[in-house]
Amino acid sequence: MWTKFIASVKKELLLLIRDIPALSMLFLMPVTLVLVMTMLQDSTFKILDEQRLSIIILNNDTGSFGKNIVKGLQASKLFKVTTAHNSSVDGLKSKVAKGKFTIGIVVNKGATQSITKNLNREIYHQFPEEITAAVTLDTVGAGVSAKVDVFFDPVIKYSVKQSVLSALREFSAGVESEIIYSTYASLFKQLLGVEMKKSTHPVQLVEIHEQKAATEATSTIPNSTQHNVPAYTLFAIFFIVIPLAGNIIKERTSGVALRLKTMPGSVVPSLLGKTAVYFFLGFIQATVMFLMGIFILPLMGLPQLNIQSNQWMALLILTFAISMAATGYGILIGTIFTSQTQASIFGSISVVILAALGGIWVPIFMMSDLMQTLSRFSPLNWGLHGYYNILLRHSGISGITTDVFLLLGFFMVSVLGAWLYQKRKKG
Amino acid sequence: MNQQPAIAIVDLTKQYAQSEKPAVDGLNLQIMQGEIFGLLGPNGAGKTTTVSMLCTHLEPTKGLIYINGKEVSENQLFIRNRIGFVPQDIALYEELTAKENLHFFGNMFGLKGKTLQNKIDYWLDAFNLGDKSKKKIKTYSGGMKRRINLIAGLLHNPEILFLDEPTVGIDVQSKNVIIEFLKELNKQGTTIVYTSHHMDEAENFCSRIGIIDHGKIIAKGAPASLIAQYDDCNNLEDIFLKLTGRTLRD
Repeated sequence: MWTKFIASVKKELLLLIRDIPALSMLFLMPVTLVLVMTMLQDSTFKILDEQRLSIIILNNDTGSFGKNIVKGLQASKLFKVTTAHNSSVDGLKSKVAKGKFTIGIVVNKGATQSITKNLNREIYHQFPEEITAAVTLDTVGAGVSAKVDVFFDPVIKYSVKQSVLSALREFSAGVESEIIYSTYASLFKQLLGVEMKKSTHPVQLVEIHEQKAATEATSTIPNSTQHNVPAYTLFAIFFIVIPLAGNIIKERTSGVALRLKTMPGSVVPSLLGKTAVYFFLGFIQATVMFLMGIFILPLMGLPQLNIQSNQWMALLILTFAISMAATGYGILIGTIFTSQTQASIFGSISVVILAALGGIWVPIFMMSDLMQTLSRFSPLNWGLHGYYNILLRHSGISGITTDVFLLLGFFMVSVLGAWLYQKRKKG
Repeated sequence: MNQQPAIAIVDLTKQYAQSEKPAVDGLNLQIMQGEIFGLLGPNGAGKTTTVSMLCTHLEPTKGLIYINGKEVSENQLFIRNRIGFVPQDIALYEELTAKENLHFFGNMFGLKGKTLQNKIDYWLDAFNLGDKSKKKIKTYSGGMKRRINLIAGLLHNPEILFLDEPTVGIDVQSKNVIIEFLKELNKQGTTIVYTSHHMDEAENFCSRIGIIDHGKIIAKGAPASLIAQYDDCNNLEDIFLKLTGRTLRD
């Protein structure tokens, strides 16, 4: 049994080492993918933080509204603000259209005045006539809204557009509050001769605390590396399906499988040897990818993969289960398909589909209900969920138990399927 | 020649699910120990299916096979330890060297260490391949590949050797080496069951032949006595064509 197992492992290793294209596919492809995707997505992860949206603002308003909008935008971490002086609206529009700025904002002339007049009219109507007769509030020209024009670069995403508009509405609301306050102050002064004092200790009525829903205070900030390294590690491990299935089919078409089946004893040691090699290949791939995330990506200016010392065991267990699942799938494909071309086409396409369903490219929460339901059946989803639980949610081994069982179940179902298919064929 | 049957086949039938007619149809045959038995037939006659069932690779739909007195389906391990199988295809790993291939198949037979190494060296020398044993199989000529293919089935010294067209597509010299070697092996007591399309080769090589068509044995006997039975036939090929017809088989 051991002689056969070791012979099979040795043979598979030799075949694998000598198959340079397959090895390249298994190592270079995922490494390249991680590098490219991390670099691409790094800017997406940073876009609302370090890489601020570039805004050009033309303030034609001489009042507090225009000044406060400019001040608010400049204070925001979201935007890099350039103030346009001596520029026309068309000039500003052209700069945005050419992509020099992502967003262009024009605060139109008399905006503060319009707001003040409209608010004056509103407040004026709230008081009884005997009081309003005694005061004078400028409401001439009320009814015309203050105008702010926002020009967006056509390529800007809908979500970014909405963020910008929300921020503008927030600044406007702040400015409006200040104008309301000063209008009331003016009324009180005129009616009661009382000078209202400005608050020296303004209190923020609602304080919003942004916190991560992690179980430990030491939770990791998600970034492109934390997402891409586990995602493409999974993708790479599942790509062993192609050489493994090809190897099984080659043995069958060359007659080697037939020869092995006529030899004394079971074919199990031979199959186990093959499984062991591809299983450990998955481990090596994972190790290479994780080491790359820790040591290579930071050298390229990308975030470092953050793995804490107490996470290694959970990572080991999960990677074990993922490797088993991928190996089982490879055995199933290699058993069912009759040619290497069929197996490589089906194998690669099915892995890409399972990866897409598994949330490798698009996060699952962004998928439609139907796709979210389908994603529950993707082993890559179980794997990615497990990696996220370990690396981002710091859940430890207890947080990956379900995923590990699902992956091992997938392995067993695949191998059982292959065995039943083979048995039926032999009969 | 020992007159104990090495192989006894009783009413052997194989019906494939996707086929209307059985590939092997109620075959009855005895092959004696020490014989070189040639199973001849046109394409699709049932030769390979029969050999596959004899080698335990395929399960019969009906019928029984006895090898050295043991029923095959119930004694697979016993049978597999005593048979050698050389498939029609070059059943070797192209990316491995001849030695690496033979080591692997030897290990699969349960052989190891010095015993296996000695056997490999012996067979490689016997087939004049000793100096090329460290080259990958993919660099070998057709004849060299056939010789390694044969050695891989001989490493465990089988009592019965099944050869499925062992000389197909090779040069005359390689064919001659293989046939002469197999004759020598047979002299040492190995029973050989051989399928081929080469009638002249079978006529000279086999002690007895069986012509199979549509899954049934339609003629059997020693080549010379078969030729003698048919007045209008001068050789085995004439008999073969007379019995199986001249229509092309695909």
